[in-house]
Amino acid sequence: MSQVDGDDFIIGRDDLILVTGATGFVGSRVVECLLDRGFRNIRCFTRSSSEARWAGVQLVRGNLLSRQDCIAAAENVSVVLHLAAGRGEKFYPDAFMNSVVTTRNLLDACVQHNCLKRFVNVSSFSVYTNPPEARQGLLDETCPVETHPELRGEAYCFAKTKQDEIVVEYANKHSIPYVIVRPGVVYGPGNLAITGRVGIDTFGVFLHLGGSNPIPFTYVDNCAEAITLAGLKKGIDGEVFNVVDDDLPSSRQFLRLYKRNVKRFASFYVPHAVSYGLCYLWERYSSWSQGQLPPAFNRRRWCAFWKKTRYSNDKLKNRVGWLPRISTAEGFRRYFEACRAGESNA
Amino acid sequence: MLKVAIVGCGKIADSHAAQIQRIQGCEIVGVCDREPLMAQQLCERFPVERHFSNVNALLSESQPDVVHITTPPASHFDLARICLQSGCHVYVEKPFTLDAHEAQSLVRLARERGLKITAGHDDQFSHVARRMRALVESGFLGDGPVHMESYYCYEITRSGYAGALLGDKQHWVRRLPGKLLHNIISHGIARIAEFLTSDSPQVVACGFTSAFLKSMGESDIVDELRVIISDEDRTTAYFTFSSQMRPSLHQFRIYGTKNGLVLDQDQETLVKLRGGRYKSYLEKFVPPVSAAKQHLGNVTTNLTTFLANDFQMKSGMKYLIESFYRSVVEGTPVPIPYREIVLTARIMDAIFAQLDVQQRQGQGQMALHTTN
Repeated sequence: MSQVDGDDFIIGRDDLILVTGATGFVGSRVVECLLDRGFRNIRCFTRSSSEARWAGVQLVRGNLLSRQDCIAAAENVSVVLHLAAGRGEKFYPDAFMNSVVTTRNLLDACVQHNCLKRFVNVSSFSVYTNPPEARQGLLDETCPVETHPELRGEAYCFAKTKQDEIVVEYANKHSIPYVIVRPGVVYGPGNLAITGRVGIDTFGVFLHLGGSNPIPFTYVDNCAEAITLAGLKKGIDGEVFNVVDDDLPSSRQFLRLYKRNVKRFASFYVPHAVSYGLCYLWERYSSWSQGQLPPAFNRRRWCAFWKKTRYSNDKLKNRVGWLPRISTAEGFRRYFEACRAGESNA
Repeated sequence: MLKVAIVGCGKIADSHAAQIQRIQGCEIVGVCDREPLMAQQLCERFPVERHFSNVNALLSESQPDVVHITTPPASHFDLARICLQSGCHVYVEKPFTLDAHEAQSLVRLARERGLKITAGHDDQFSHVARRMRALVESGFLGDGPVHMESYYCYEITRSGYAGALLGDKQHWVRRLPGKLLHNIISHGIARIAEFLTSDSPQVVACGFTSAFLKSMGESDIVDELRVIISDEDRTTAYFTFSSQMRPSLHQFRIYGTKNGLVLDQDQETLVKLRGGRYKSYLEKFVPPVSAAKQHLGNVTTNLTTFLANDFQMKSGMKYLIESFYRSVVEGTPVPIPYREIVLTARIMDAIFAQLDVQQRQGQGQMALHTTN
């Protein structure tokens, strides 16, 4: 557990906390984290098909696209931990609707009830531009976010950037205290896929694009801890926090470990200069052909995903008092074990 | 310059905006969605002048010549009526309306006002569909179609669309008369309607909920449908919709008195079926070689189209929009005859009416229904 005690919190253990996306990969760990810390008044907002998983936790079934559902969910809430998002949506309107419109509805509901002490918006590393001029390749909270996320060719990036924007807009307009949390690559049992920052599986051949890049992993329990603390810690309103673990492996190291511990498969390393060139050509062709190939690969995406970058969790440690509960070695052990189990069940 | 507007800024609106952008001589002057944020996001991603959350404001301030309606189907009729009454030509996404009565009303209104209207049956204008139409018109089939088979499947798995639909008992698709089928099958039905001569064919439908959906606790959604359609002059057709059969086909087969044709929408292939037979063992050897040659020809055609930069996933939509705009500007016939739009709606009405009866009586019983 991190080095933060209850005196540093903005709410007491009986104050009401709303968690959206509570049955998801990270959200479920956030609820457990709150329960571990002795919080007794937790309300989980879930889609109607979700099942109750924790004794003593209030389950509100509804849809964040419904203003009425949001108003009901936000009643008497002191802290909102907003994890629900349009993840996995391929199309811009779907991703936008399930990230931005939902967030707006929730913010409106909070404004209406006027009892909120903090709104924690769970964002993503994908919003950073990571431009070529980034100082010494370090990506931290001071780095710029995408100014034209529509050009990234990634619906998720567009939606998350706009989601952050609307949170800040509401905060300025209605004086909503907020914190933005941007996790890197969240891994662990429950999310077994190899991140695209390592490479992509194309027609049966794994193209290894990460090379010697560190991958901004954060184990799911560590990430949940960071989100929880971001909702509770005093004196951090209006701040942005990136979440990455310590001892980050390079893409190459991760791939080697994965092959050794889970399964062997053929991979082909694409040097950075080549992958950048291919992204450039794809971008040009997509534009010239009026979208005959969608602009899924482009230079902006290359910078965000495959440019050599270092990451920092200093701000999260110093300001929030977060420490990774699970070491990277232990996190990988659990992850690979889950991957092996997944493989044997496949 | 033709001034175009889009009402409804969801997923399909992206396709419309992308294809309109590719057409010369037109510009998107405004987009509209009841949810202002949705209108704003479309405006930010495409070269659009303004965005609105009220259709009347869009019509009065942007004064479009053509309006594309890309909202959920329940609002198609009202929005199209408002646009026609404002003097705009209208492109309505599929399904055109909730029923044939609404379809007829819109067509009548368009005629009365001297305006054009069309339905978003863009699959019928893909490269391969146009090649097929040209062959049929050239008399390849002989004396018109004798029988047709239209497969229009939709793969439902535990994630994705099914998750959203099944998890939300208030989902707008559930409120359509034909629920899931209503939102999907019009492409496959329109293919048949194009070649029927009668305005009131007989329709026999059988629908049920697949074991897969039942295993997910779903009993309201019909996701397996088989239909027999019979024309007055005895042109017949089978229509199949399935969420579970594999491959998940989008195929159309049409047989005449001389020859037949098989169109595969997913692969964009067209294969001619020769009516005559070869003598003796030649029938075992020559037709497979001929089929192989045709498939190779399809590969060449598709590759050539791709290299010519005209193989976008929604190239059929671009062709339909372009044809519709031409009919507006030059006064040429509309790309989809009104009769075909209304007949498609009639057949769908007949199917849903029977499914409704079946659901009330217990699933899987067939009934005869005439579309009038």
